[in-house]
Amino acid sequence: MRALPQKLVRSNEFYLFLVIVVLAIVIQARSGQFFTANNLVDIANAMVVPGIFAVGAFMVLVSGGIDVSFPALASLAVYATTRILVDAGYEGDLWLPFLIVMAIGAVLGSLNGWFASRFAVPVLIITLGTASVFSGIMQGALGSVQIPNIPPAMSEFGRATLFVATNPDSGLTSNMPMSFLLLVGVVVAAFVMLRYTTFGRGIYALGGDESAASRAGFNVRRMKFWLYVIVGVIASIAGLVRTSMMDQMHPTNLLGMELMVIAAVVLGGTAITGGTGTLTGAMLGTLLIVIVQNSMILVGVPTFWQGFALGVLIIVGTGISALQLTRARKRKTALI
Amino acid sequence: MKQRRFSGLTLGLAAVLSLGLVGCAAGGTAAPEAGAAGDGDYTIAIVPKDSTNPWFVRMEDGVKQYAADTGLDVYQKGPAETDATMQAQVIQDLIAQGVDAIGVVPVDPGALETVLKQALDAGIVVVTHEGASQENTMYDIEAFNNTDYGGFIMDNLAEAMGEEGVYTTMVGHVTNASHNEWADGAVAKQAEAYPNMTLLAAEPRVESQDDGEVAYQSAKELLKKYPEIKGIVGTSSFDAPGVARAIEELGLTGKVFVSGTGMPAANKGILQKGLVKSLTLWDPADAGYALASLATLILNGEEIVDGVNLGVKGYEDMKFAKGSDKVLEGNGWVVINKDNVDEFGF
Repeated sequence: MRALPQKLVRSNEFYLFLVIVVLAIVIQARSGQFFTANNLVDIANAMVVPGIFAVGAFMVLVSGGIDVSFPALASLAVYATTRILVDAGYEGDLWLPFLIVMAIGAVLGSLNGWFASRFAVPVLIITLGTASVFSGIMQGALGSVQIPNIPPAMSEFGRATLFVATNPDSGLTSNMPMSFLLLVGVVVAAFVMLRYTTFGRGIYALGGDESAASRAGFNVRRMKFWLYVIVGVIASIAGLVRTSMMDQMHPTNLLGMELMVIAAVVLGGTAITGGTGTLTGAMLGTLLIVIVQNSMILVGVPTFWQGFALGVLIIVGTGISALQLTRARKRKTALI
Repeated sequence: MKQRRFSGLTLGLAAVLSLGLVGCAAGGTAAPEAGAAGDGDYTIAIVPKDSTNPWFVRMEDGVKQYAADTGLDVYQKGPAETDATMQAQVIQDLIAQGVDAIGVVPVDPGALETVLKQALDAGIVVVTHEGASQENTMYDIEAFNNTDYGGFIMDNLAEAMGEEGVYTTMVGHVTNASHNEWADGAVAKQAEAYPNMTLLAAEPRVESQDDGEVAYQSAKELLKKYPEIKGIVGTSSFDAPGVARAIEELGLTGKVFVSGTGMPAANKGILQKGLVKSLTLWDPADAGYALASLATLILNGEEIVDGVNLGVKGYEDMKFAKGSDKVLEGNGWVVINKDNVDEFGF
């Protein structure tokens, strides 16, 4: 047993946390706005959707796959849900939108799961295909258009606030959205599942070595199938949150988020080859990217350079994570 | 055995393919001479990109209005979905029917060149809208000149801001040509007409990435960092709704203003709540009217010159675009606000 401080210094999360702290201080020094109540609430607000997505992306990465279909899956699920409810003139409570969107998310996820568990094709390729299929169904078969008026229950949920943070100097107010609790809920549920259930431990085993996991008695096919069902449900929740908070349905709003989310999870120390990683790291990685994205103007990075700055962060960050992993692996082989 | 089945398949496939090709060619040559009547009793067809899209349903209102005003046989006929091949098919049918003039809003100008050339060769008058790059057309109508439209957006923002204060501009992407021309036009107009307004020097142009969520978050950041901002010139249709959401949340309603392009139905809520005072737009009904009107002028043998009047507001003084003798630009923009937002139906 190693002592806690030593373990801490070796861990990727610790460095990530340091980077976030340093970054926060730099932003504070440049703008004087970072550590204000309303700015912190704004960042928490911006974190909700990428955070929920990151939980799903993290689970797939740990299992040894790369899922790029979750934004398309979420878009299709939430578009279909909104369309159905708006056409039916639904005025009732929030449970029904959630139920429908999660059901559609599960069905679409099971499609990913079925392919991933039956065919020996990399998940990246499968989900590239299903992502096109999902957005194709939404844009072609359902003829997606912007829906300006969403059901009242969703609209209310999007506006619901836990508390309002006010900046004493400028008087600006920011709302802490109710949906932040959903992010917390999803993270806690995923944490418990990954740490304390056989299924959760099996996901790590699967990512470490599939045939070893199979020999150890895990039903690999069934596990993969249910993993993608769960990820589909998680993604669809994020989609519903985004639509509710925007108070409008923009069908293409989420598309293109996948790479940023995957980068955030890898930044958090999850091995892109699967098997290792922590949920804490994934959340810290997402937080780092969200902070950077939402501080470009505060720091005063010119518009033309913002993409550049984000790219550099991702390269440097994932590079450090990769370095840590190789070092850890070397230590392991040295022991043998 | 396997080999033979394969060659059979190839043969069959080749047969089907060549049949298809022959069919196409036959369709192409079957254009009868269209009657360029010249007797003042014309049939004019307007072909939109998509007959079910609310934008073009609105355009049909203008086309019908023109038919009612003139008593001519003017109608709109478009493909069931936005598809260049289907649109070409519709035009081909119209050539076969021998209409006098066709007004097209091309889905893809390049894909229509052949069929529009056939129409011109058959003596049919061809005019287009939003197809400045179309070659096989007599004239193309644009609702406005981009720089002038930017100036118009600025007029609306200046009115909301009381013609004074600091503002900045927001575009979808800094690489988007028309958004940046609008934004440049807005800044030029401010420099010329509103001396008490100033462009935020530190962030003169931000991106919304054509995304309502990014527009919302960027606006929050801008307003935190630069509390002196009183207005934002939006360009993309996602800008104004996103910025309005930020203004409402930050508690700045009535203190910070945003303007920009937006569709009436999508923005009804924010206009009626007073988060946005006005948005700007061009009305497709007017464009439909102007297209039919231009076609009639050509059929009457009138010369199309700078300043031509197409008989509908915003298209009364059409000017040729710089360096072009085909593209006509109007000033066909409209303001939507809480009072008229219900009148458009799209």
